[in-house]
Amino acid sequence: MKHLSLVAFIFVLLSQAFFANKANAKDVYFDSKWTLWQNADILIWTPDKEAALDPKEFCLSLRRYNSGIGEPKCRLFGEWERDTVAMRYATWLSNNIEAGLEPHHLKARHPAMMAKFQTLEDKIVLYVADKGNHLLIAVFDENSSEPQAAGTVIKTPDKIAQGDEVANAFFGHHTKRRLTKEERLKMESEPDDLYKETPTFRSWAGISAGYAQAQIPLTPSSWYRRHIRSRVGDYRVTKDSVSLWNFMDDSTPLFTLYAGGIWFGFIGGEIFYRYSNHAVKTDDRDSIYEELDHWNFAQHEVGLNVMFARTYEPFKWMDLHLFAFLGFQYSFYSEDIELKDSKKNPSREYETRFKTEDPYKGALFGFGTQCVFLHHYGLSVRTGISSRGKDVYVEPSPDAAAEPTTIGATTVDWFISVGLEYHWTPFR
Amino acid sequence: MAALLLTGCADSYHWSSSHPAYARAPYGELAITGLQKAFVLTRTKWFANRLDFGDSTQIKATEFCSKAMEHEFRGGYVKLSILPDSVLDNAPEESQKLDARIFMKGKLPEQGVIVTAPDGSVPPQILLIHEVIIGTDLKRENFFDYALIHNELEDKRDVKNISAIVSYTLWDNLKQRPLFSAVDEIQHPVTLKLTLTDLEQLMRQTVQQIRKNMYQGAGK
Repeated sequence: MKHLSLVAFIFVLLSQAFFANKANAKDVYFDSKWTLWQNADILIWTPDKEAALDPKEFCLSLRRYNSGIGEPKCRLFGEWERDTVAMRYATWLSNNIEAGLEPHHLKARHPAMMAKFQTLEDKIVLYVADKGNHLLIAVFDENSSEPQAAGTVIKTPDKIAQGDEVANAFFGHHTKRRLTKEERLKMESEPDDLYKETPTFRSWAGISAGYAQAQIPLTPSSWYRRHIRSRVGDYRVTKDSVSLWNFMDDSTPLFTLYAGGIWFGFIGGEIFYRYSNHAVKTDDRDSIYEELDHWNFAQHEVGLNVMFARTYEPFKWMDLHLFAFLGFQYSFYSEDIELKDSKKNPSREYETRFKTEDPYKGALFGFGTQCVFLHHYGLSVRTGISSRGKDVYVEPSPDAAAEPTTIGATTVDWFISVGLEYHWTPFR
Repeated sequence: MAALLLTGCADSYHWSSSHPAYARAPYGELAITGLQKAFVLTRTKWFANRLDFGDSTQIKATEFCSKAMEHEFRGGYVKLSILPDSVLDNAPEESQKLDARIFMKGKLPEQGVIVTAPDGSVPPQILLIHEVIIGTDLKRENFFDYALIHNELEDKRDVKNISAIVSYTLWDNLKQRPLFSAVDEIQHPVTLKLTLTDLEQLMRQTVQQIRKNMYQGAGK
């Protein structure tokens, strides 16, 4: 008995659900976000002898259900009702609109029919087919020969209620102001946001700050230890004089001024000036340096890079240029040395201290990226390896021992820098 | 799972598409059209050297294949009607998309127009045979993948298979919609000597493949 009551209860629940479903007057199969214009022109198109919707009443329903619609105009689409191709498609739709179909299943295939859709120009076609107890509804516009929305509503003999049903089910969304002829023309001639030509020549100037050190990342420190730990004794003595880093501190801030240009976003060049200041690594245990106030070398470098780049446009407001560069440079060291005020005459070692070559010649290579925001404002990161050296071979001279040592046959360092740039295209 | 992945990678194309309303494959009753003009024989010379058709191998071989296919279909459906190709004469050629790069061309009846048989009856479902390409070692992607169709194919000297590529649509004549569209590729190994039996076998396998696919495509 208990079971029976349970079964009865479930039956009641199910039948309730069933009737609730039945009472649901509309069933929208799909509804893309089509554009509903303010003051819309709505053409009611039906394969039936008499349209199930009354155009005037439907217009009033629209105004009741969509406050933003303005003053819509509705009329029967007689042109299409007298057209064989359109009528065949209308009949076909009436047989084919079903639940579970995608818009492309309902596409008009006849070329003449597709052409008709294209010439609609902002008008909205409301397809209505009478299926006895319900109406098949589809909405078309000029953008496609597939329906933008489709579904059914329950049929009622009351034309006012019928119009309300359809307006409620399919014409509820926001309206847009229709463009005027001039605005439309202007829109058509506006360039695509994402369309952009690579300029023939793009140039930039920038300033950057960075850091340089002898050790190249990911290489063992044992390669450099000898140079880095080395100290200068008696103004000229180290274990060897091959690398400048035996004498000077290698890890320093680095500042760069540069300007460059690139053709077709692919091959370019850059001229630069780099500055860094290196302290001499005097041996503190050596008492001879007591006379010394300070001893530094300012490193000035000028050079030229060739670069190859590739451009990406991840966003409309940003261009990303990835590049690799290869160049040469001249390095100049200007010595800044001073004795303590108390000391009037320098020692003999001071007079024969090591000296640098007038210019060092070197090469550099590396890679980097420029992020250019709003076509002009660039942020650049680059890293690379630069070298400087001199001819190793010198004429042997009899008094070489008394001469100051000329240092730095091969010096290599690694650098990284971040720059601010301004980009412009001087000609197109 | 690994097998699934592997097979997924091996054949990345979809070679058929079903309409959501395609619930049941035709059973017992079917109408066919396209048997008159759909057949194409490639490497005609190769076939001419091996088959004893005398002259005009192209015409005679395709006729032979068409007959063989019709015969095979008759065995499969109790009530089979063959509609002449002329029922689609006025329809434009359209393409149906099966996969991202696979488009199949063929004539389909107009929306809203029911095709009637010459005797006045209305077949509920029509199998539209669009094209049957017969040749040696053919691959369907070379004919239907638009990225590959302009590639020139070499004629291989040693022929392993004779093959048929068939594109077809099962057409719902009452509601004028394509229920099932597919491109099938059938390979039949050539042993020592090519005979007419081999061609017949190829057509038999083709029909079996079409029927199998139509069953598998239903209710998807």
